[in-house]
Amino acid sequence: MSNKPFNSFDLAQSQFDRMADRLGLDDPARELLRWPMRETQFLIPIRTDDGPVKIFRGFRVLHNDARGPGKGGIRFHPQETIDTIRALAMWMTWKCALMDIPLGGSHGGVVCDPHNLSLREQEQLCRGWVRQLSRDLGPRIDVPAPEIMTNAQHMLWMLDEFEAIRGERTPGFITGKPVGMGGSLGRLEAAGFGLVFVLREALKELGIPPEETTASVQGFGNVGQYAIRLFQQMGGKVVCVACWDQKEGTSYSYKKESGVDFNSLAGITDRFGGIDKKKAAALGYDVLPGSAWLEQDVDILIPAAIENQITIDNVKKIPPKVKIVAEGANGPMTSEAETVMAGRNIFLIPDILANAGGVTCSYFEQVQSSMNYYWEKDEVLGKLDVKMTAAFHSVLELAKEKGLSMRDAAFYIAIARVAQACRDRGWI
Amino acid sequence: MPDQPRNIDNLIWFLSERAKELSCLYKIEGLLNKPDTNLDDICKGIIEAIPPGWQYPDICVAKISLEGHTCQSPNFKETPWVQFADIKVQDQQIGRLSVYYTAEMPHMADGPFLKEETKLLGTIVERLGHYILYARMKQVFQEYQTAKGDLTGHKAEEWRMALNFLRETNKNLYLDISRRMLNFLSWRGIHEAEQLLQKSVGGPRAKDERAATDENRPNQKGLVTLTDQLIDETFKLAAQHLTNEQILANIQKWIQEDRLSFLVQITNRNLPLAKVVDAIRRHHHIAAEGIELPPASKRGVQVSLIQRFLSARQEFVNTAVEFVDIDDFYEVLDHIVFSPESHGRLGGKSTGLFLAKHIIRKCSPLSDHLRGIKVPKTWYITSDGLLSFLSYNNLNEVVEQKYKDINQVRLEYPHIVQTFKNSSFPTEVIQGLSMVLDDFKDQPLIVRSSSLLEDRMGSSFSGKYKSLFLANQGSKRERLEALTDAIAEVYASTFGPDPIDYRAERGLLDFAEEMGIMIQEVVGTRVGDYFMPAFAGVAFSRNEFRWSPRIKREDGLLRLVPGLGTRAVDRTGDDYPVLIAPGQVGLRVNVSVDEIARYAPKKVDVINMSMNTFETVEIKDLLKKFGRDIPALEKMVSIHDGQRISKPVGKNIDFEKDDLIVTFEGLIADRRFMPQLRAVLHLLEEKLKTPVDIEFASDGRDFYLLQCRPQSYLEGSRPTPIPKDIPRDKILFFSNRFVSNGQVPDITHIIYVHPQKYDELHDEPSLLAVGRAVGKLNKLLPRRRFVLMGPGRWGSRGDIKLGVKVTYSDISNTAVLIEIARKKGNFRPDLSFGTHFFQDLVEAEIRYLPLYPGEKGTVFNEKFFETSPNILPEVLPEFAFLADTLRVIDVPKSADGLVLKVLMNGERDEAAGILASPSLPAEVPLVSQEQAEKRSGNFWAWRLQMAEHVASQLDPARFGVKGFYVFGSTKNANAGPQSDIDILIHFQGTKKQRQELLGWLEGWSLALDEINYQKTGHRSGGLLDIHIVTDEDIARKESYASKIGAVTDAARPLALKKSETPS
Repeated sequence: MSNKPFNSFDLAQSQFDRMADRLGLDDPARELLRWPMRETQFLIPIRTDDGPVKIFRGFRVLHNDARGPGKGGIRFHPQETIDTIRALAMWMTWKCALMDIPLGGSHGGVVCDPHNLSLREQEQLCRGWVRQLSRDLGPRIDVPAPEIMTNAQHMLWMLDEFEAIRGERTPGFITGKPVGMGGSLGRLEAAGFGLVFVLREALKELGIPPEETTASVQGFGNVGQYAIRLFQQMGGKVVCVACWDQKEGTSYSYKKESGVDFNSLAGITDRFGGIDKKKAAALGYDVLPGSAWLEQDVDILIPAAIENQITIDNVKKIPPKVKIVAEGANGPMTSEAETVMAGRNIFLIPDILANAGGVTCSYFEQVQSSMNYYWEKDEVLGKLDVKMTAAFHSVLELAKEKGLSMRDAAFYIAIARVAQACRDRGWI
Repeated sequence: MPDQPRNIDNLIWFLSERAKELSCLYKIEGLLNKPDTNLDDICKGIIEAIPPGWQYPDICVAKISLEGHTCQSPNFKETPWVQFADIKVQDQQIGRLSVYYTAEMPHMADGPFLKEETKLLGTIVERLGHYILYARMKQVFQEYQTAKGDLTGHKAEEWRMALNFLRETNKNLYLDISRRMLNFLSWRGIHEAEQLLQKSVGGPRAKDERAATDENRPNQKGLVTLTDQLIDETFKLAAQHLTNEQILANIQKWIQEDRLSFLVQITNRNLPLAKVVDAIRRHHHIAAEGIELPPASKRGVQVSLIQRFLSARQEFVNTAVEFVDIDDFYEVLDHIVFSPESHGRLGGKSTGLFLAKHIIRKCSPLSDHLRGIKVPKTWYITSDGLLSFLSYNNLNEVVEQKYKDINQVRLEYPHIVQTFKNSSFPTEVIQGLSMVLDDFKDQPLIVRSSSLLEDRMGSSFSGKYKSLFLANQGSKRERLEALTDAIAEVYASTFGPDPIDYRAERGLLDFAEEMGIMIQEVVGTRVGDYFMPAFAGVAFSRNEFRWSPRIKREDGLLRLVPGLGTRAVDRTGDDYPVLIAPGQVGLRVNVSVDEIARYAPKKVDVINMSMNTFETVEIKDLLKKFGRDIPALEKMVSIHDGQRISKPVGKNIDFEKDDLIVTFEGLIADRRFMPQLRAVLHLLEEKLKTPVDIEFASDGRDFYLLQCRPQSYLEGSRPTPIPKDIPRDKILFFSNRFVSNGQVPDITHIIYVHPQKYDELHDEPSLLAVGRAVGKLNKLLPRRRFVLMGPGRWGSRGDIKLGVKVTYSDISNTAVLIEIARKKGNFRPDLSFGTHFFQDLVEAEIRYLPLYPGEKGTVFNEKFFETSPNILPEVLPEFAFLADTLRVIDVPKSADGLVLKVLMNGERDEAAGILASPSLPAEVPLVSQEQAEKRSGNFWAWRLQMAEHVASQLDPARFGVKGFYVFGSTKNANAGPQSDIDILIHFQGTKKQRQELLGWLEGWSLALDEINYQKTGHRSGGLLDIHIVTDEDIARKESYASKIGAVTDAARPLALKKSETPS
């Protein structure tokens, strides 16, 4: 193993193996769940703008659809490998199962660098991808969504191609569509609000009234901003926000003991979540180094920026007052840091749960598209609350019952649910 | 006159005299241009027009005597107070115009007459002479036409008839034509003609090349012996050997050519500009009748005009002569502000644009796309205008400025600017400029330098001299003042430190600098309070920054911005233009929604019409307020809906709600703009036989060409010659695919990520650690003195195996970014071409190079990279565990004091990294003062001085300061005009002290910013960038604290004030 290069699918499999041991899964179940159920690899020829035909390689991996149609992204990436896609498909299976969404997990992609492709060529790729896969895709088979280097426009091209082949309108074929073209309201808020819904439940569990809590947030992008908004509506106080300063190539923490004013801060923020340093200082914020957010004497830490922010080096700086860490970003904490933290009395809401608002809203989009009836934003967010809260409590209960960490409990539930569905169908 | 102090009354008197004279001249021009008029009426008219034009109209009378006839003022009497001028036709005196005062008046320049009156008199007789000549010719032809009618069927007599008329009316021409006929016959090899010719010139001699010699005099000399008998014989021979039609056609042609013979005087270089202007004007009117000079003379005149006004470079002349006709100068000369004795040129910028315009005009029948190209209305001041400005104001000693010490130049420059702005212009220039303003009305203007040095191939003086925008609003007086002010400032920029430094480096100091001026209307429309083009940009016919292997050099490069083009020309550092390869418009630098939004232009340069200023405004605010008023906006913006960025449908834009991003998608898809741009670039490159770059702007309707020159390269972006004889062991790498231009000398460190070892890293944290370590090294190693080499795609998102995961800020200080595509089995990975932060690389001028080890022609000295000592454990002990994968090589230590030089030649598609002797000592502090000044324009030296000064004034006890350090560009001697001063303060005081310290430093920061603004024109709102670190930070070696006592590029401690307050 030590000489084997890093491989994300190996990592996903070993994560599964560890949990399968705990669950005591039998061999057939392991055999089935360790591998994708279906893999398609195919070629897409397109004619380039300047004449010659180029051939591209496409993939779709369905990890498991025992609980429902596959659901997962499609990315355009050079040197995409089947192993990366397998890992991502497996991750989707667990995520949907944890949220108790009736969907399976899948993922796909095209090996290409969109920087070398015109929009017209990208459109051809999208349409070619759908043509090659049309029998294996559909609202009740496998539902794609945007991922790296693909966006709403690509989804619409794919939808159009699929509908042309099927000869009917099937907006539930794909998610990530713009509002008005089969998209769902509440999508922007989903991740941040979802995080605060579970945070609220965690506070209840710990018996702390939200209005008496303070928080420090890393990241002022979509997740961070909506999380802060809802948290403050709940009565909590955010005293510090850290973000990346594009101009200076470093990050800063902006602190106000009396609590940040969300609206004025958002008013001096660019669309990438970068706060204007000078204007913030003028508004009376203390401008501190980027790492300072972690050292604030608050009840709640919300890392909502990028991965690997809490490491073995800085985990000890987390002040004793901190009671909850809610992972808004993917993998913001290294496993070594997590081991250190486990020794302290800090309640961790793991990323797979805390940032599941996005995938849940994606599911809502598909539901709305399939019935061709679209909800108001309140309704979307209300239903999100129900789903998030339910998922939180099932994880919490299991963690208590089995003495697991919240993260392990989340995986445990997810795998158990999928294995159960396979059993119910008589597959294993 | 300039040195005689004149009071205002005198000035007004002077000006009103000039006005009278001009009005007199206009009246007479009017008479001469009236159709169906006769000589009598004209003479009468002149007699009437003269007195009001003279200083004492009441006692002024005039008389014209012309071929025996006389015409005079009603109250005419002869007196001693007279001035006169002869009326001549073809150098023969045929009359005289005399002006008398009937009473004695005070003595002036010429008796009682003013100098200007004498000149006016000369002009009047000259015009009258031309008129009479023209009238005679017309008459001859009319008679001839009538005769022709009578002689139908008698062709034989036609040419004789014409000849007879000539003999009667114009003896000179008659002789001339006879002689030309004789030449013509002898050139055709008719023996008898040759004999006649010898007889005529009194013996055998070289044939007279009449067409190329100087006017008429030498001909007359040769014609002395052309007797009537000889002429008879000549035409007898002609009748024998030529058909009647041939003879007639020749005579007609020669008569017509003779009308343009005056043009030949232009080939005389010493001819004053006023005469040239006059000759070109006359030609313009005659040329309108379709009459042309014979080809050889025409070419001679063309070449003279090109050399005189444009450039004497032979390659230029050869090209220009193909596209620029004599009459094309009419338009230029009509738009020149000059002193009559000027001999200057238009300067590089004007010349480039002028030629480009005529190339496009000549070739426009070939392509629809070329037809719509426009050039904004332009006025010129010739290059010697600067010299006459200097001597008029007794400022000649300023020319010596360039030989002074560069520090001195820098210090004195603001003073020179002020002196120039307070100087005055010669009266004729002021009058000219006043006319310029009348022509432009209140259209905003740009005053641009057009230096003779700019014209020299290879010396790109781009941006070294000033270009100033004028709102051109207010009263005429205010506008004139603003215009002269701007011209003075552009003149002053000739003596600015940057151009002088730049010239010194290139050995061009002794080249006499003359500066032409271009006054051009700004293309654009009024948008709210602002005036701006809809969009503008620069385009290069060769693409030096290819972001995809599918883009070829000849696909070109376009940098497009909304508003004034200044933001596309300059690299602003905080904003980005939209980059497009015109030959491959589909392939964009930025593809994902996030990239497109991040690298979209955020600001616009505009002219504020109410404040009379040039301004930069946020595009977001501009669109909200005035989006509706910007023409063709729907072609410039796309709508960001959070999930995608798409073109608006038609003009359906909600300026309040829509999140608008400048993408130029509509423009790129436009059927007019892109094809136009491509056609222009292609044509100019083909005709000028060199890659070109152009500046352009559009008011939303038309494409305006603003500048054209051979493709310029940013400093360090020229194709660099690669020596062929480099010993193999000195080559670290050699590449021959996808190379752009550039050269980076003096690289002292290499960060090398070992491709196989990186591939073998098995856990994600280690892979991520490589990126983090690179980020730390980026801050530790000397800026722009190291290169980064690594496998695959730097900054890859998604699968980390594809390349080291870094962001731009982790690599921002590297000089070159190298991606290594090592074959795995039979699979060769694609490289990113730096696309993840491509625009950042372009704006920061970081070079990019892909390497393909194992490919034919590629050299890759693996041994050097893998066996040179690795200093990583020493500089970053916490990353020592990566030492197998991440190697940091101190080049001089590993190569006996040699450094790495990277030479890149895009033209040959070759790049080499070689070991060579350093051109600078390896350690920056050892750089001698002079060298450092040359390199960096000395922006760092005064920064360092000031930092030392600030430190020496800082009371450590009062503020709780333990140490004061300078680092970054100021310490490393590579500060630019916009750099701030990085200060690190070791602080150990109270909160109150900290606040006081920051306040104290803020004062300094603002003051220094002001000084920097005075020096460079850049303002940042505070020049000091203060970083405060504490004992704890230093103990933990965190962030900036790691600079203190660092192994490489450590912060430099400065001495503090001796404490006054006892601590």
